[in-house]
Amino acid sequence: MKTLRAFVRAAWTICKKDLRVWLRQPSNVAITVLPALALLFVDALSAGAVGRSPVALVMLDQGARGQQMAQIIRQADLFRVSDATPAQAQALYQNLDVVAILTIPANFTREVNDHAPAHIEVQINNLNTDFTNDIRRAVPDAITQFYQQQGGASPLKMTLSEQNLRRQDIQLFQYSAMPLIVLLLVVSGLVSSSLAAAGEWETRTIKELLLSPASSGAIMCGKVLTGFVTTTVLGVLVLGVGDLLGWVQPQGVYWLSVLLILGLVALFSAGLGVALGALLQRIQSVGSVAIVIALYLFFLTGGTAVLAFDPAWLQTIATFVPLYYGRHALEMAIFYQSSDQLGREVAVLAGSALLAVGLGMLAMRRGLVESR
Amino acid sequence: MHTLGYTLRVVWACLRKDLKSARSEPLYTLVSIILPLNVLVLMSLLVISGGLAPTAVVMQNSGPLAQQFYTAMSQAHSFVLQRASAEQADALIEQGKIVAVVMIPADFDARIRHNQSVVVGVQINNLNTDFTNDIRRALPLSITSFYARAEPSVVTITPQERDAYPQDLGYIPYLAVPILVIGLMVGGMVQAGTAAAVEWERETMKELLLSPASRLAVLLGKMLAAFLIGLAGATVVLAFLIAVMGIRPVHWGELIGFTLLVLALFNAWGTLLGTWLKRRTPLATLAIGLCVPLFFLSGPFGPISFFAPIEQLVARVLPVYYAIVVLQHAVHDFTLNTQGIGINALILAAYALGGLVLATIVVRRSTLAH
Repeated sequence: MKTLRAFVRAAWTICKKDLRVWLRQPSNVAITVLPALALLFVDALSAGAVGRSPVALVMLDQGARGQQMAQIIRQADLFRVSDATPAQAQALYQNLDVVAILTIPANFTREVNDHAPAHIEVQINNLNTDFTNDIRRAVPDAITQFYQQQGGASPLKMTLSEQNLRRQDIQLFQYSAMPLIVLLLVVSGLVSSSLAAAGEWETRTIKELLLSPASSGAIMCGKVLTGFVTTTVLGVLVLGVGDLLGWVQPQGVYWLSVLLILGLVALFSAGLGVALGALLQRIQSVGSVAIVIALYLFFLTGGTAVLAFDPAWLQTIATFVPLYYGRHALEMAIFYQSSDQLGREVAVLAGSALLAVGLGMLAMRRGLVESR
Repeated sequence: MHTLGYTLRVVWACLRKDLKSARSEPLYTLVSIILPLNVLVLMSLLVISGGLAPTAVVMQNSGPLAQQFYTAMSQAHSFVLQRASAEQADALIEQGKIVAVVMIPADFDARIRHNQSVVVGVQINNLNTDFTNDIRRALPLSITSFYARAEPSVVTITPQERDAYPQDLGYIPYLAVPILVIGLMVGGMVQAGTAAAVEWERETMKELLLSPASRLAVLLGKMLAAFLIGLAGATVVLAFLIAVMGIRPVHWGELIGFTLLVLALFNAWGTLLGTWLKRRTPLATLAIGLCVPLFFLSGPFGPISFFAPIEQLVARVLPVYYAIVVLQHAVHDFTLNTQGIGINALILAAYALGGLVLATIVVRRSTLAH
């Protein structure tokens, strides 16, 4: 019992010392939180403009059908429309103020009424396929709405019956915020733990630690605890802020699964960070390597995108990255109030965390032996 | 007043000193050279997903009209299609390998021929609004394309497209240029910044500050050394883009010239950052950690005039944006703003000069405790 108390006291003391050192270096705090926070900011900034390209609408037809089509284009949530004359539209196009010019020609109504081919002219600046394909999808969507407004007389007999797997669409910004929170946890754990571990060798304070009565196990646990505490606190803070702002809002009992996953990801990244710091033993290189590893882990699980859109080889690799399971568990709990596959995900994360902590301890033990 | 000759001697001495330092740490220098390539690979993972929704089509009818509808879907610029049975499709969507299932009913051909209503089932894994809305719009595109070919007298309204460029450029070749810029940024800033910061960490800046050499000459020498090392990294990255990613630049002279200018710019700002932070660890970590947000903030996806005003404002402040503009012109002959290449290049040069001037001011105002 006394031995256990001494062990815990030593580990906690080392953790407190490392936390104080970390907090006294604002640059270390900055490099831990800035990358993910900056990405969250970018995410919030860009979410609003997704899918609505600026276009110029030129109305040359005064008939009812032309007016109807123009109204559909203006009111549909497809474009940011600027009404223009042909000359104005060309000026906007040349000045890169619009992606495309949509022209409803002068004889549009007559042609539609005569069941003759009627064209909507679309002049597109097709330098980027993303914008271009948005326009290519949006114009036929407007045409479909035009025909649908004819009700039973519509010549389009094909209709779609949509069934969604999820009960609600998640806004892109909210959906992207979840993996960014995971990135924040990984960066925090990796950077803070690796710096704490490497710092002992670089500043040669490892000798004092070895000469102290604290056991090697307590020293190693203290290092892992540092990363775990900073990461978990940061994660809970960001989650709390996200909840207040309405980005991510776990409900009821799902807060528990969210906190559990958060803790496991924190433990995993802390263990990995200690291993990195103990192996490299140099502060300068460890910070950069930690960030690069965090980013690779993040992107190998699909980043903020849906993994199904990635090539098959990347989808396969993702299944071997523990963060993939953490991200899935958080998405299910937060967006869909579901514990779908939670057991599997907790098992993988817990196993990975234990493995990472084990690796960290092995690396530290090797370093400690060499330092004696 | 120092003579020009003296100043040049100082620049040359500092350059040689830093190059010798780099040679004495070959591993670190090698890592610095391949760092831009590392960033390129990392960023490529970010953009590799593209915008085509993986979708299974369950063809309960395989008549000619059903096949035409399948073809219309495949040409809708929105899907990666695969045919599957209903059970296979259920399994695929459950496993997260596809995001939508389209069910063409058994009586599809018969109903279309008899001008009867036909319902096509669509099951969507609506994880987020972005791709879900893309799918919702792509299906009407498929329907109008289908009718335009199968029943041209029924649906007479069609879009008639005229493109600014003869062919669409793929997502990855387009984004390769902003990724190149980010790679040059990280490589240039880390190399120059660490060279500046190490003088403070090792306190050798004392000797430099006490010497009669001008601050500007010292910084210029260090920047030039970082520039020469960064050239190696830039060469590696360009070789990768051309040989592995298959990018064929349109204007080679512009490509080389603007690459050198961009590298010099980020060397200047790296020197400023290194001089200000005085520590290598936060400098390198920040430069790498912020590369992804800076990528997104700098208008990588097209002319920023297509985006929201706040995004335009943010992008215009960042030198990365202007670097993307000039290099997109060099590589793909794209015009991303109406300022002209000359003005964009001048802005980049101004940023480079600004970085150097600010770094000199920071050095002047810095002291080192005994």
